[in-house]
Amino acid sequence: MRIPILKLQNYLLVSVQIELDDQTAMQFQEDLLGKIHETGATGVVVDLTSVEIIDSFIAKVLGDVVSMAGLMGAKVVFTGIQPAVSMTLIDLGIHLKNVQTALDLEQGLIKLKQELEEK
Amino acid sequence: MNPEYKDILLTHSDDIIRKWMDDLEDSKLRDYKSTISDEMIEQVNREFVNLIFSILKDGHSQKSIEQFSERIVNLGWPLGYLTEGMQSFRTICIKSLMEHLDEHDKDGFLQIMEDINHWVDPIKNELVDAYSSNWTSIISLQKVALQELSAPLIPVLDGVTIMPLVGTIDTDRAKLIMENLLDGVIKHRADVVLIDITGVPVVDTMVAHHIIQAAEAVRLIGATCILVGIRPEIAQTIVNLGIDLSKFPTKSSLKRGFEKALEITDRQIVSNGEEKKVIDDIIQSIDKE
Amino acid sequence: MKGALTTVPIIKELDIVGARQSGRNLARDLGFGSVDQARIATAISELARNIYLYAGSGEISFQEVQGASPVGLKIVASDHGPGIENVSKVMEDGYSTSGGLGAGLPGVKRLMDEFDIISDDNGTKIIVVKWLR
Ligand SMILES: Nc1ncnc2c1ncn2[C@@H]1O[C@H](COP(=O)(O)OP(=O)(O)O)[C@@H](O)[C@H]1O
Ligand SMILES: [Mg+2]
Repeated sequence: MRIPILKLQNYLLVSVQIELDDQTAMQFQEDLLGKIHETGATGVVVDLTSVEIIDSFIAKVLGDVVSMAGLMGAKVVFTGIQPAVSMTLIDLGIHLKNVQTALDLEQGLIKLKQELEEK
Repeated sequence: MNPEYKDILLTHSDDIIRKWMDDLEDSKLRDYKSTISDEMIEQVNREFVNLIFSILKDGHSQKSIEQFSERIVNLGWPLGYLTEGMQSFRTICIKSLMEHLDEHDKDGFLQIMEDINHWVDPIKNELVDAYSSNWTSIISLQKVALQELSAPLIPVLDGVTIMPLVGTIDTDRAKLIMENLLDGVIKHRADVVLIDITGVPVVDTMVAHHIIQAAEAVRLIGATCILVGIRPEIAQTIVNLGIDLSKFPTKSSLKRGFEKALEITDRQIVSNGEEKKVIDDIIQSIDKE
Repeated sequence: MKGALTTVPIIKELDIVGARQSGRNLARDLGFGSVDQARIATAISELARNIYLYAGSGEISFQEVQGASPVGLKIVASDHGPGIENVSKVMEDGYSTSGGLGAGLPGVKRLMDEFDIISDDNGTKIIVVKWLR
């Protein structure tokens, strides 16, 4: 399974619509980095509204992808993390400190724009 | 029960009842009775003692004990009155047996105690059970009521909501607060939530930990938490305990927090006369609550 | 009905997803709310992944239990792998032998209400319970 990555101007938009198993998550990491490289995108919004479970492995993959994208010059914002998912992450002790968040895709884009303009 | 004892007790039941009623009359049980009429007390006591004797005569009757217990719980009489009453009843019965038995030795005394206990204890247990199950149901009802009151979320402006916390925060409540908080953020599409702890009496490491976790969880779903209502003594405990709250904004008052929220949501209080006054009034009235 | 509900073998990576989906469905059927469903499913995911990663294979079994409250979901994760050398160490946040976050086991403990672990040369057995409130 592959997660589609869309390009919009300088940004990449990703909406995760399927349950993230380990293989899919790793594949996504690879695809996203490849796409950033290919397009020179400076911002990425990853919408997680439909994701019902993030365990420590998926959290690590997602956190890593933010750091890796950062090294390649792209800012990542996660949007739509569900309350239940957020609470389980907190219970796991995972705070995703290096990750920017927003309520939904639209807010995520606004946040990215603001941050990239501030620079 | 030894048939001989039973005979004696039943023969002298009138005497026992009279003594018992007298005992209740002038014992310290008086304290309990200030709000209940003497007639009522007399009537219920008589019902009670009749019940006890009917059990001695006809054997244990779960149903009649339950009925009596239910009645007494509904009357709201203190449990202590009943247990002390049972105690004095026990003593009077033992005395009466000792008086009327021709001879008795140590073993006989033990036998008397045992037989009396065997008769009286199940009744007492039943009463205590009735009380405690009543209490348990009251407690669980109150718990539900408390949960409903527990963590309201109040939207004040587009994107800005306030959660005033009142009372002690334990682990169960912290979970509930967190759930309400996150659901509320989604429902009201809040960019900023002000958590007001003015009404939280003690902020120890545990409470601080819960609040920090709630704030972290809010951040993960994409909103910002501002902790407001930090009284001086709370600021002192937080620092003395070495709790690190530096990672998210804190403000002394709801008013200051609200100003910060406006800043975050890219708003300003406009200063053209009327309108400014209205917003100031809103802020002030919020602050008073 | 009380007792054994089902057992899910963990052999390949995708079984992790299968196990947590079964767990979530059982939790929902027992009446757990959506947040506790997520907690339970996440805990299963952690346990199943550990089996897959560190023991190669094993199983996750589910039981309905009674105790602290009338309904609880008990999950037993067992394997015949190498066992955990230092149990108290792995219960510390951040300890991992695989470059993981090391949040798994201490996290599972926080996600669930009861947590027990038995581990020796013959393998590892982790028993957790979540009570319906
Ligand atoms: N079933 C198991 N069998 C053997 N070792 C295990 C098992 N589960 C966990 N471990 C050990 O415990 C460590 C901590 O596990 P965990 O808390 O899940 O963190 P992580 O998986 O991120 O390393 C693992 O790195 C591993 O060494
Ligand atoms: Mg693990």
